[in-house]
Parts: sequence; structure tokens; C-alpha cells
Amino acid sequence: MADPRRYHLSTTMLAAAFAMALSGPGYSEEIKSATKFGDLSSVTQDLLTHASSDSSNFLHTNGDYGQSRFYPNSQINTTNVAKLRPAWIFQTEVKESLETSPIIVNGIMYVTTSFSHVYALNARTGEEIWHYAHKMGPITTFCCGPNNRGVAVADNLVYVATLDAHLVALDAHTGKTVWDKEVADPEEGYSETMAPTVAKGKVLIGTNGGEYGIRGFVKAFDAKTGNLVWTFNTVPENSVGVWAEKDLTGRDMHRDIAAEKAALAKLGDPYKTLGGGVWQNPAVDLETNRIYFVVGNPSPDLDGASRPGDNLYTDSLVSVDLDTGKYICHQQYISHDVWDLDAVSPPVITQVADKDGKPVKGILHAGKTGHLYVHDAKDCSLIRFSEAMVPQENMWALPTKEGARMLPGANGGVEWSPIATDPKQGLAYAINLHQPMTYSVESSAYPSGKLWLGGAFKVIPTEEQWGNVTAVDYNTGKIRWQVKTAQPMIGGILATAGGLVFTGEGNGLFKAYSSENGSLLWQFQAGAGVNAPPSSYSVDGQQYIVVGAGGNTQLDYKRGNAIMAFTIN
Amino acid sequence: MALGVLALLGLKDAGGPVKADTIEEKAGVCASCHGANGVPTAKNIPIIWGQTEGYLYLQLRDFKKGARQNEVMSQIASTLEKDDMKALAAYFAQKTWPVLDQPAASDEVTRIAKTVNSSVQCTSCHLERFQGNSTVPRLAGQSHDYLVKTTAEFRNGVRGNNPGMTSLMKATPEDDLVKVSTYLAGLAGSY
Ligand code: HEC
Ligand code: HEC
Repeated sequence: MADPRRYHLSTTMLAAAFAMALSGPGYSEEIKSATKFGDLSSVTQDLLTHASSDSSNFLHTNGDYGQSRFYPNSQINTTNVAKLRPAWIFQTEVKESLETSPIIVNGIMYVTTSFSHVYALNARTGEEIWHYAHKMGPITTFCCGPNNRGVAVADNLVYVATLDAHLVALDAHTGKTVWDKEVADPEEGYSETMAPTVAKGKVLIGTNGGEYGIRGFVKAFDAKTGNLVWTFNTVPENSVGVWAEKDLTGRDMHRDIAAEKAALAKLGDPYKTLGGGVWQNPAVDLETNRIYFVVGNPSPDLDGASRPGDNLYTDSLVSVDLDTGKYICHQQYISHDVWDLDAVSPPVITQVADKDGKPVKGILHAGKTGHLYVHDAKDCSLIRFSEAMVPQENMWALPTKEGARMLPGANGGVEWSPIATDPKQGLAYAINLHQPMTYSVESSAYPSGKLWLGGAFKVIPTEEQWGNVTAVDYNTGKIRWQVKTAQPMIGGILATAGGLVFTGEGNGLFKAYSSENGSLLWQFQAGAGVNAPPSSYSVDGQQYIVVGAGGNTQLDYKRGNAIMAFTIN
Repeated sequence: MALGVLALLGLKDAGGPVKADTIEEKAGVCASCHGANGVPTAKNIPIIWGQTEGYLYLQLRDFKKGARQNEVMSQIASTLEKDDMKALAAYFAQKTWPVLDQPAASDEVTRIAKTVNSSVQCTSCHLERFQGNSTVPRLAGQSHDYLVKTTAEFRNGVRGNNPGMTSLMKATPEDDLVKVSTYLAGLAGSY
């Protein structure tokens, strides 16, 4: 790993030049705060590239470009985690759903809240350094809460994507806006809740809007200027595909292909309003210059009548070229989805055993279906899928007027929650929901940017709901261990070199388990739902675990406004 | 009565411009129904004071486009340009939501409303305590009779400007919707 001091001088000077250009005489103060709180200006591409072996920072939403969520520090471990205590608690101004992945750079932490606020905190004390309150435009359209999942950092800029579909670059020292670009028109149903990813001078961002008849995309913006570099439409102009009758696991989806073909002849290709949001960060492979991301559901969610065909590339793993955004490969999980059992949890790049047991570069994705899918990174093809992590019943029963019961419910399985991995153990850790629902269908015309579900998914109030934490051996597809939780799980999970996994629950419990066998080693009651992915970092040689406790809008878990850091002392 | 009011206010019939210049004057036109102090002058007229800005704008846009239809409002909106709509939305959104004299729901009605909410997850969009945000309207403390009317009209398709809400209302029994309206109307105050 690079010595951060090597970059200190030049980047500080650069920062000074920046500050001067922006705010004139104010710059000397900013330099002072930089030395007080550590070197804020050292997020080089080199640091970002080698994040997986960085045991003091947490530089990417999911830890590193491969999105392993494996933190290489073992100071907090199975033998001492019982002594984990709160180091500090920071209260944000916003008491709503918290889904932020804290990013930590040389002792400075960046967190976000609902409605796209950003805070810079002293990671040792929880003291606020600055607060950016985005001036929200009058129109925002979002389906599942006014969430924000965090920032990306590079050089001396902090990037946040906002609910009104803007991408904003902030000065890391001051929180002042450096540039602000509209990613797409919120009146047409676009919004941003995901954290951006920065790689090789480009800021990558997807979009929400699969519930509003958008045409999804991943866009790359120039990190310095905010100019658009490329756009990859997640729905190609020919979205019809191969009329797949089975899902990727081989189960019949009961499509009426003849009716769909007739609809296609009459209506034409539905690509313009077909949805295909991208909810979570792409995994980046700098060796091959590719990115991998998953694409969400087609619009309208439950009604396939107006959208004949496979609806490419909805419900798919997709890979494109990092420099150009050109298509490389894809694999669709569910063609012509009418259940919203789409692909949202961010994919992970890691070495896996192929069908012959040979090590190859693989891609993992945990689906709302409850399967962990293992792909070959070369061509996106499926190597295997895991045992189901949650009950599956009546798959694939088509939605009806009255509502058909099928498991899993439309939230999964695994929702947007990122998985964690432990490459040495060959395990992936996923958090799941069991939330029985009925699926009903109801046709309606495209309502120009308004909510367009094509029916309803209804939780069955009389049935029990629960969740679980599951460890899957991705080289075999077998479940290694599984722990049931009192409520459906949403948020995320972190694995560490200390032999631990950390994850929180809607009832406020934040827990540490043995990553090897799932035994519960520590827990803490946070007072509000812990439904955000944890991060880890160290300052002055001391390791911390940090997580947001703000509850969740989508599952209506108790709201709060706390960022909590834990350490052993 | 409605068209009479329009005439009184000096509004021309469909297509004529609203004869008011400043935003206060334009908003003054609305007061005869939506209330000079934010309390609507009849029970089936909704509160617009303190309603969410994006939602107010989209309703005016939809009345003008014809996606939402109402004899009075369609006519009024037809006289408004996009900038007027945006200005009116911003103007009313920053007013204080008025408290109507509506009783809190009984325990039994509350129980049913909460069951409906846990089933359709209304608060995943309308947010905690139905306070709304941006294009999603506040429902807490809205006029009871208006809520009953508009949920029924989503359900039977008369209100066609949000097929998503129509689907969700169709998935909920009609009786329950009346109880939900009673519950929502009784949620007074901001939180
Ligand atoms: C003559 C009476 C009348 C006047 C004047 C009037 N409104 Fe309305 N307004 C109504 C009624 C009645 C409704 C309910 C329509 C329905 O049931 O669909 C309504 C609905 C609305 C809505 C939708 C609210 C919601 O919760 O969905 C908005 C926004 C609105 N009016 C804005 C205005 C504005 C702005 C003005 C002035 C430019 C105005 N209205 C003038 C009677 C009036
Ligand atoms: C997926 C998001 C979503 C869910 C779930 C949802 N709503 Fe809505 N609701 C909206 C949006 C968006 C609007 C604005 C409609 C428009 O643009 O005309 C709305 C409008 C309404 C209105 C009209 C308010 C007015 O002033 O006219 C009522 C009443 C309402 N919703 C009640 C409910 C109830 C009750 C539930 C649960 C049973 C529910 N909604 C669930 C998104 C949602």
C-alpha cells in the first residue's frame, strides 16, 4: 500500500488552489482544519485500487472495488468482541430511514441520511466537521423511502447522488458544492438513493424508477468537471430476447408466449418505459477494465401485458466496459418478471470454483429469490446457484385479479442489502427476509412518471414474518450456517479478518456473529432499527465498527437518527 | 355553485387567463374554496395549505392535462401556465397545515387502519405518521369527507392520475378504505 504522506504535499497544495478558486481568502482556515483532522486530500486512485488491504480506511461503499465487504483488520475478533462498547454516537438532524455505508478517509468519516444530507465527522470523536443539506428540488419520485446509501470519495472531492436525481461533488474540506449535475428528470420518475462509485476519473451512477416507467441506465460522469462521459441504457432498443420459458434455475415461469408475441406485433418493443433501475454500486474489475452491476425490475412491476418479451436487461447481471460503457455480457435471472423479484443486492467479484472445481474469477449476486448466484466473470454465465436461503412456495404462480400467494414475497429473499464475503473460508454472508405476500395484477396505461405498479403486492397480515443471516459456501452452493432473526432483515452485513460478521435488525439489535459457525458473540440495543450496512476503520491504531441506526421506511422499522461507532477499550 | 364562484371571482370560462398578477392575488382566487386561513370552506374540499410542494404542482398539472378530472379544478387549472403552477405549489406548500376539528379514530378503527397499512405498506411512501414528502401527499389530518371521496375515486377509476394508487386501493376492501380515511383524518398536527 502507498504511504499516504507521499501525496500529502502535492494534494494539499492542490486543495489550497481549489479552495482559493472557490472561496478566495477563506482557504487558510481550510488548510488548518485539514491538518487538525488528518490529511483529507489523499484519496488517490492507488489508495482506491488497493482498498481491500487497507486496514485503516473504508474507501468504498462495499469496502473495495470487488465489493467483498471483508475488512482486513483483526484487532476486534472472536476473543474480544464481547468487550465491544460504544465509542461515540452522533445524532443527525434527520430522523428517517438510514441506509448509509460510512466511508472513512484518514480519520474523517462521511455519512449520509434520508433526503440526501451529508455529514463529515471526526471518526475518533464523532464531532461534526461539516454538514451538507441538499436543497431539494420540488419534484422527487421515490418508491421505498427518501433514502441515501452514502458517498464516494476521490482526490479531494466527496460525491453524493440526491433524491431529486442530481449528482453533486462536494469539497472534502468544507462540504461546499464544487459541481452539481442533473442525472435525469425527476418529473419522469427518476431519483437517486445509491452511493456513486469512482474509478479512473469517472463517477458511476445508476438510477431508481422501476416503479415509474423510466428507462434505466448507468451513467459515467467526469470526476473533475461533472461532464457526462457515457450512458449505458439498461434496456436496449431490442428488449425482446429469446422468449425464455424458464428462470435461470430452470423453473417454468408460466409465460403465455403466444399472447406476448401477439402483443409485440400490436404494441411494438416496450423499451422506452420498461424500467430497469440500477439500485446499487457496480463492482469494478480494473484488471479487465469492466464493471458488473445488476438491473432491477421491469415497469409496470406486476403486469406483463403491456411489455411482451424477456424485457432485457431487467432482472439481470450486466457487464460493460469502464471506459466506454459498451456492453460486454449479461445473464438474466428472471425473464419477463411479474413479481418484482428483481436483482438489487450489489454483485461481488471474487475467485470461485468453476463447475470442474478449477479456480476462476467469479461474480456473486444474492437474489430476492433467495438464491446466491455464482457467475463466471468472463462471460457472465451461471456456474451454480445456492440452496434457497428462505422458503419458496408456489413458484412461479402468476399474479391474479384476487391475488395469488407465492413465496418469497416481493421484498425477497435478499433485498438491496449488500452481502459480505470471506475469501479464505469461501463463504458469502447474506441477510434475508421471509415476508409472505399475495401478488395481484391490474392493467393500466403508462402514467408519465407516476407510480406504475400494474397491480399490488400485499403482505399477508396473518402470517408470521422473520428473517435470517445465512452463510453460503459459494464453491458448492451449500448453506454452511443459518441463524433465524425475529424480523425480516434489511440493511447489510460486514465480515472482518477477526472472524466476525456484523449485522443489525429492525428491532434495534446490532449483532456480531462468528463468521465460521454463526454463534452469537455480542449484541447491542441501538434504540432504532439498525438497517444500514456496517463499516470498519481504525484511527491511531485502534479499530472501530460503525453503523447507522435510523430504522427503515420500506419495512416500517422504528426510526432514529444515530451514527454509532464501537470500539474495545 | 362552483361555476358561480368562478364568475364571482372574475375568472373567465375554460381557457381564459386567471386575471391576477402577483402570486398572492393568484392564490387569493383559491381562498374561496380552500379557505382564507387554510381551512376549506366545504367538507369535500381538500386542505392545500402545508401540502407537499411536488404533489400540489403535479395535481395542477394533471388537472390541466386532463389526467385528473374535476369540474371546478380542471377549469381553474386550464388557465394556469407551468410557472404559475410551480409558484402556487411553492406558495401553498410553505403555509402552515391547518387543524380541522376531526376526532381521533376509535381503537377498533385504528386497529383496522394499521392492519391495512402493514399489508399495503402505505407509510413506505406516505412516510411515518402519513406526513408525506415532495410528490407524495400528506394525509394526516386531511379532510375526512375528501379522503373518503378520493380513495373511492382512485378505486373506481374516476381519479385516474395515479394508476399505482388505484391498484393499491383496489387491493384494499372498500369498507376498510372508509375506516382508513377516518383514521387519517383523526391524525391531527405535525410531528
Ligand atoms: C370553486 C372551488 C375551488 C376553487 C376556487 C379552487 N379549488 Fe382547488 N379544489 C376544489 C375541489 C372541490 C377539489 C377536490 C377535487 C376532487 O375531489 O378531485 C380541489 C382540489 C385541489 C387540489 C388537489 C388537492 C389534493 O389533495 O389532491 C389542488 C392542488 C388544488 N385544488 C389547488 C387549487 C388552487 C391552487 C386554486 C387556486 C388557483 C384552487 N384550487 C381553487 C375546489 C376549488
Ligand atoms: C408506492 C407508494 C404508495 C403507497 C404504498 C401508497 N401510496 Fe397513496 N399515494 C402515493 C402517491 C405518489 C400519491 C400521489 C398521487 C398523485 O400523484 O396523484 C398518493 C396519493 C394518495 C392519496 C390522495 C391524497 C390527496 O390529497 O388527494 C390518498 C388518500 C392515499 N394516497 C392513500 C393511501 C393509502 C391509504 C395507502 C395504503 C393503503 C397508500 N396511499 C399507499 C403513493 C403511495
